[in-house]
Amino acid sequence: MSKNYTSLISELREKLKKCSSLHDIANIKSFYLGKNGIVSIEFNELKNASIDEKKELGKSLNILKNQVQELISLKLSQAQETKDVDYPIDVTLPGKNISSGSRHPISITINQITSILGKYGFTSVSGIEIEDEFHNFEALNIPDTHPARDMHDTFYVSDNKLLRTHTSSVQIRSMLSNKAPLKIMTPGKVYRCDSDPTHSPMFHQIEGLCIDKDINFCHLKGVLTNFITEFFGRDMEIRFRPSYFPFTEPSAELDIKFRGKWLEVLGCGMVHPNVLTNVKINFKNFSGFAFGLGIERLAMLKYDIVDLRMFYENDISFLSQFKGLK
Amino acid sequence: MKISLNWLKEYVPDIKKNDIFIEELTSLGLEVSSQVKIKKDTIIDIDMTPNRADCLSILGVARDISPLYKKKICLPKSIKLIKAKNNIFSMIERGISPSYSVLSIQNIDNSIPTPEFMKQRLTGSGIKTVNFIVDVLNYVMLENGQPMHAFDKDKFNGPISVRFAKKNEKMSALDGQVYRLTTDTPVISDSKNPQAIAGIIGSGDTAVSVNSKNIFIESAYFTPTIIRRSSKNFRLQTDASYRFERGVDPLLNKYALERVLFILKEHTKVGNYSLSHSSVPKVAKHIGNSISVESDLFQRSLGVKITNSFIMQTLKYLGFNPKKNKSSFVVKVPSHRFDIQLPQDLVEEVARVYGYNNFKSVLAVNSFNNIQAKSDKNDYYSDLLVARGYNETISFSFIPSDGQINHMQKSQIIKIINPISEDKSEMRGSMINSILSTCGYNFSRNNNNLKIFESGKTYKKHRDGKVTEENILAGAISGINSEQNLKTDQNELSFFDLKGDLISMLPNLSFEANDNIKYISKTCQAVIKQNNQIIGYCGEPSSSLCQQYSIKNKVYYYELMMDKIIHIDNVKYKKISVFPKIKRDLTILVDNKILASEIIDAVERKLFNYMINSKINDIFYNKAEFGKDKKSITVEFIFQDSLRTLIDNQVNVEMEKITNLLMSKYKAIIRT
Repeated sequence: MSKNYTSLISELREKLKKCSSLHDIANIKSFYLGKNGIVSIEFNELKNASIDEKKELGKSLNILKNQVQELISLKLSQAQETKDVDYPIDVTLPGKNISSGSRHPISITINQITSILGKYGFTSVSGIEIEDEFHNFEALNIPDTHPARDMHDTFYVSDNKLLRTHTSSVQIRSMLSNKAPLKIMTPGKVYRCDSDPTHSPMFHQIEGLCIDKDINFCHLKGVLTNFITEFFGRDMEIRFRPSYFPFTEPSAELDIKFRGKWLEVLGCGMVHPNVLTNVKINFKNFSGFAFGLGIERLAMLKYDIVDLRMFYENDISFLSQFKGLK
Repeated sequence: MKISLNWLKEYVPDIKKNDIFIEELTSLGLEVSSQVKIKKDTIIDIDMTPNRADCLSILGVARDISPLYKKKICLPKSIKLIKAKNNIFSMIERGISPSYSVLSIQNIDNSIPTPEFMKQRLTGSGIKTVNFIVDVLNYVMLENGQPMHAFDKDKFNGPISVRFAKKNEKMSALDGQVYRLTTDTPVISDSKNPQAIAGIIGSGDTAVSVNSKNIFIESAYFTPTIIRRSSKNFRLQTDASYRFERGVDPLLNKYALERVLFILKEHTKVGNYSLSHSSVPKVAKHIGNSISVESDLFQRSLGVKITNSFIMQTLKYLGFNPKKNKSSFVVKVPSHRFDIQLPQDLVEEVARVYGYNNFKSVLAVNSFNNIQAKSDKNDYYSDLLVARGYNETISFSFIPSDGQINHMQKSQIIKIINPISEDKSEMRGSMINSILSTCGYNFSRNNNNLKIFESGKTYKKHRDGKVTEENILAGAISGINSEQNLKTDQNELSFFDLKGDLISMLPNLSFEANDNIKYISKTCQAVIKQNNQIIGYCGEPSSSLCQQYSIKNKVYYYELMMDKIIHIDNVKYKKISVFPKIKRDLTILVDNKILASEIIDAVERKLFNYMINSKINDIFYNKAEFGKDKKSITVEFIFQDSLRTLIDNQVNVEMEKITNLLMSKYKAIIRT
């Protein structure tokens, strides 16, 4: 036996339409769905029904119950949304204690570089800044009388102590203490006796070194071309050209085409056999490549910074522009 | 080096387009950094690396590019000279000049004007025209790389000596300067006085003028290291010294004179002439050396198979006279190449002619590495500080002279022997100067709300002369908590903001009053400890130091010794109790001198059952009510059991124990 509850439902709809306050809706809810509500009363009929009828009736009663619940809860949620509030919150007011902290663009650039090189298997190593002539020059195949020392205007703090002119000294120390194979990157501060709008007496460098069996020039190119693409986030026009460093042979410089002009961004090459000998690695068994680049240079290109001095003035208005970068 | 492109083209006749040619030069390692059109010519500027002295001339550049055009260069015309029986040298110090030539010419007419094309090429290369003879010498230097010097023989007393200067000798040079010579200055002298600092500059006294009739033209090979030392001593670099210190072809000096003679005779009246030449058997170490290169070294180093014929061709044009054996190439080092010593050097020669851009790029990532990656402590703490609103700064490691004399021992300060300026003449011994300098800079630009940090090194010298470097993370706060906050939410930053930030970064820190750091004020100074080890200091910078940086704003400073910090990189999970917590407050009145930390230490949790935490909840002073030497402290206690729900009575018993302890130990008066 099925029963038609259409009139009951339409009556409910009418009642709901007429009321608006949460209180009224609550009353309607208990009138229909309460312990002794209309729906419960209808359910009582089940007791009197035969087994066959029970099946049919049960089904339609459940549909009724669901329908009633649905209608009431819909009305309730509508009413809640439109509930009057004395002072609605103004979500456009400022948030509290907003942090405007930021990493320094140099650190951000170092992090970006080390995370790319890290993927290629390079591990970060740091070292001392006040070095001796052996680790900064001699071990790197730069004898005292060599004109190449002109490329490094060196700050001295005593007769044989100097401020490192490159982080290659860290590579020397790493090779001496860890032997081959190794794959390291050495970010850090370096110093040269030079100051003008494009040179700073202190700046940052990162160098990479890979020593293993059967490392050749194509591997050097592989790391650097991929690195440049990843760092700038797009394919860049690049070129390698022969250059000269006492510690690499062959030596190269990598230029990128930037706004129509070739810009030198890094120096690199295959580690010179004399350097390997100086750190007691047999160049007959191992070969390697090395590269070094200036962090400021890359940061300037990436962030359109034109004045090198901005990096060390630490004006908060400059620094906070790098908010959100890591 | 600036040179005329048209001139260069005379020796590389197949050049099609300037742009392509310039790219070719760059791809060989002779980077053209700029080009300027002058009339029908183009002057190109080549950035020459210090190893390529052989390319400091038109012929040198032409020779270097000849493998690309597969044409051997022809030397320009000259007049063969034969060494005279009697030379005009009284002595030649071999250490200075292993090969020395002089052409003496009589009755030359030097009053004629220098030909226009020659003048143009000289000025294009940045060389001033002087008079005909001097111009010809410079012209030939640009052409083949041999610097030469002419003396007026009629002003030159007696024979020529090449020697080191004697004590107290002086020379007034062509540039108008008087140089005081030392015993390691190489000079060319007549029988009385030095007439030139060898390889660098001549004397004004014997210089050739338009009226000179009889002359000496000196053309020599000078030992590069000696010229370099002398040029450095006098801080004087000339076109000649620039070439000599890098290495002029030791076998070139005689030919250069032959070429000069040809040009002189072409343009002016020349009388009798004779050549004096003196040379040791082996003029320079590299001459005559041969190098054997295993054939497979090229592929092993370069990663690409390069044909034997390409290697042979390349080395032939560059002057290496290569021979191929079964498994190797044998080459003779040419006299103009000082930079070729090892097989690897020849690999570079072949590679640059092959073109660096023609090699593949191969990314090999998975190689074994003897050095394992470590987590970067600095980076980790930096990020935590940034999240709490700090801006990272980076300052110079240098500070002004005497900037730290008040807080460091003089013997510890590292001074730079050759500073770039007075304000960058000492290495910082602590971070305080860097941090305050950054604060001062920002305050003067009205950036008054600061939260900054810098991680960097400090440098100290020790009694035994040893130098140490320490990794420090330092910073400062000043101003209000956040500018963006509404007025009602703004607060002046205090010592406790700083402390809060530090504890958020490193949870297990403790702070104790301190007064032994000179650059921090005695009245607001704390030592920072981790597990009872000192790891840093904080507080207000001393007023004298603030004055030094013109700082009037209130600043709180901190510094942490990164190498001493124990980085927490592991924890062990503790079981969490599911039973409810009970919270109790206790307000007591104690003597002002009793520190908050003493109270918390006294009620240490292991002394009492169920107590899992205690903290200072409130503190206030009220002179009228408590008197000026008492303060009111509220401590909050949390109790919880891991096995069952606590009942009030259990907690009451513990609270009574606590109260009794505080009353007996600190004469606390209970206020609630």
